Amino acid sequence: MQLSVWTYEGPPHVGAMRVAAAMKGVHYVLHAPQGDTYADLLFTMIERRTTRPPVTYTTFQARDLGRDTAELFKTAARDAYERFRPELLLVGASCTAELIQDDPAGIGQALGLPIPVVPLELSAYQHCENWGAAETFYRIVRACVKAAPREKRRGTCNLLGATALGFRHRDDVTEVTRLLAQLGVSVNVCAPLGATPADLARLPEAEFNVALYPEIAGPTASFLAKTFGQPTIPVTPMGVGATRDFVRQVAELTGKDPGPALAGEPSRLPWYSRSVDSTYLTGKRVFVFGDATHAIAAARIATEELGFVVVGLGTYARGLAREVRAAAARYGVEALITDDHLLVEEQIAALAPDLVLGTQMERHVAKRLGLPCAVISAPVHVQDFPARYSPQMGFEGANVIFDSWIHPLMMGLEEHLLAMFREDFEFRPGVAPSHLGGAPTSPTSPAAPAPTTAPAPVAAPAPAAPAQAVKTEAKGPPAAPAAPTAPQAAVWTAEAEQELKKIPFFVRGRARKNTERFAAERGLASITLETLYDAKAHFSR
Amino acid sequence: MNDLVQLSRRPRDGDGEGSVQFHQAASTVIEGTKVFAIYGKGGIGKSTTSSNLSVAFSKLGKRVLQIGCDPKHDSTFTLTKRLQPTVIDVLESVNFHAEELRAEDFVVEGYNGVLCVEAGGPPAGTGCGGYVVGQTVKLLKEHHLLEDTDVVIFDVLGDVVCGGFAAPLQHAQRALVVTANDFDSIFAMNRIIAAIEAKAKNYAVRLGGVIANRSAGTDEIDRFNDRAGLTRLAHFPDLDVIRRSRLKKATLFEMDASPEVELAQREYLQLAARLWAGTEPLATRSMKDRDIFEFLGFE
Repeated sequence: MQLSVWTYEGPPHVGAMRVAAAMKGVHYVLHAPQGDTYADLLFTMIERRTTRPPVTYTTFQARDLGRDTAELFKTAARDAYERFRPELLLVGASCTAELIQDDPAGIGQALGLPIPVVPLELSAYQHCENWGAAETFYRIVRACVKAAPREKRRGTCNLLGATALGFRHRDDVTEVTRLLAQLGVSVNVCAPLGATPADLARLPEAEFNVALYPEIAGPTASFLAKTFGQPTIPVTPMGVGATRDFVRQVAELTGKDPGPALAGEPSRLPWYSRSVDSTYLTGKRVFVFGDATHAIAAARIATEELGFVVVGLGTYARGLAREVRAAAARYGVEALITDDHLLVEEQIAALAPDLVLGTQMERHVAKRLGLPCAVISAPVHVQDFPARYSPQMGFEGANVIFDSWIHPLMMGLEEHLLAMFREDFEFRPGVAPSHLGGAPTSPTSPAAPAPTTAPAPVAAPAPAAPAQAVKTEAKGPPAAPAAPTAPQAAVWTAEAEQELKKIPFFVRGRARKNTERFAAERGLASITLETLYDAKAHFSR
Repeated sequence: MNDLVQLSRRPRDGDGEGSVQFHQAASTVIEGTKVFAIYGKGGIGKSTTSSNLSVAFSKLGKRVLQIGCDPKHDSTFTLTKRLQPTVIDVLESVNFHAEELRAEDFVVEGYNGVLCVEAGGPPAGTGCGGYVVGQTVKLLKEHHLLEDTDVVIFDVLGDVVCGGFAAPLQHAQRALVVTANDFDSIFAMNRIIAAIEAKAKNYAVRLGGVIANRSAGTDEIDRFNDRAGLTRLAHFPDLDVIRRSRLKKATLFEMDASPEVELAQREYLQLAARLWAGTEPLATRSMKDRDIFEFLGFE
């Protein structure tokens, strides 16, 4: 960990909040100064949850530090219990409050509340958000799980690891539940998302566990495996290949028939990526960075399912660095394990990949470098909570992944077009494709492909010198009045300029360019209304 | 209500207003587990005692974790049959990014299920052994190893009074001293109990008692114990089978049966049962170096 202006993960108490907010009947009393309440906004603004997260902050201020901040914590905890009547209370300190050492864990347990009080010691200066979520989930499970059940419920499993503010967790849970249902396996408990403490007590009844997000579910899954002999399916069903593997492993474990789940064409990804027009995918050099689970899955999809070449693979999740290193070795690259986004940027710049698959930070980096990019991993963004169904896991997840990765790439018969129009301004070497803004400085939004075309600078003055023209044309797709062959550029008359504006904007740039070329070829000094229509007639022949 | 205030104020008690006394971070406190730290003069048999005691606890059905706190990392080899990698070794292998470690990287299951950890330490003559012990305890907590353990035994290096010596005292409830019935080891024991008295002011650690080792008689030990307020918990004569067990890289519990072996095994089991039942905290009175010099009958 080092001082930084931006981090991939929040402090560990945010992880605890994600678990608390995901569950029902849990309340979190957080010893924290006023400023730390900002974390609420992550849940209400980014995830657009209908409620505030179930967190009570002690919100001590500077003047409280001279008094009894421990008393403040006790009062807050008691009031929170009275007001919210949770089934279970989490107590802990934010990173800032850890420094005043009021021992919320000890105080919380001494309150004598009639519900389980789970103290969280999250060592904010050594750990981050995912660890905090994992530790919190583990602590709650240990507090709720009692004895082993007399009998396991055959053909059931637990889905572990989905939280609030998770990267597509909501839809992944739905998709994996559907997939399991096709296999005849039902979900015993899904946790933390949607579970109550009472539900957690039923965890040992399942036959096996699915750790959807090992970063968060890992410690709990291994505790359940050790204590209750519940195996964990070791595959994350992300991508067609991994989903097939997942189906087969669940089928093998439960003795079910994998046939129905694998029948037909469960995902369009394999067909699309082999379709006639797929040459624009083959051999694309991709750089992959994210949390470990998503990065490893993305690298596999990229190589096995889309025919890309992985030129870089890395993660900020050190807890699973080992798995990422092993995956990187399979692709013959050295894993980049770091939480320093500047280092990641450096490597992207050095590798100059054809596609960046990363987090929101890599999206920004790619934008600056004029590279296509798709977001594959947390940290989450408001775009990761779309109104539509948009999982990453299962066969539908593979479809979603295909779409979101492919759209930033140049579509159509790209290679042919590049050859045919090599001289065209859009395809000039060194200039990024027009759908990415045409130049590294232009705005682009690969994850949301809509608003890429910036309004063209229509008012470009006619007598633009060629040198200037190059600059201008780099700014927007249909913008530039370039006339490389012209000895001198023709001047637009006001009348012609007025008429040009009647032409729909999306072809206006092309019309302007063609007219100027027409004029230049004929050595005309000015472009009149007549020239405009002559040019139109000429080019529409 | 008052109890609560007391509790929340606990760490500050005794230090007086405005104290800047350092207290252990809550994240390193070991709860719900019986923790013992074994001390004694170098070469007196701390590792032998620790390992055999660990096995004795495990024979009583307890889940045991033994932590070797000597940079030599030879505390647990009779249990694991090898010199296992130390915590520092594995931390080095991940460039001190502790998050990357798994429990199985630094915890080895030894004879009869005893879990073994070697804290290791800096190269001889450099660094801080105490830091290493602290890191080790933190790692064990983070990997949830202490929650599923009944007994933790710290096998501490020599009688060196430094951070490495003191660190286990912050985690232990009872310190035990291994000594022989001779001047050097009793002299060393006196210095050890002085250090533990000092630590007891701020930490929960108390002296549990004395283990007489490698001695036919215990007269000098008992005489000192009476004077210093100590209790002898066990007595192991100088048995050749213990020496041979070390050479065989085995604990006593793996040696062929013989009257000697059974005698020693019974004594270790007795000691384990006694420690599990709980020993009274001893209010010891260590002696000044000059006084003990006189006391032990040397001119």
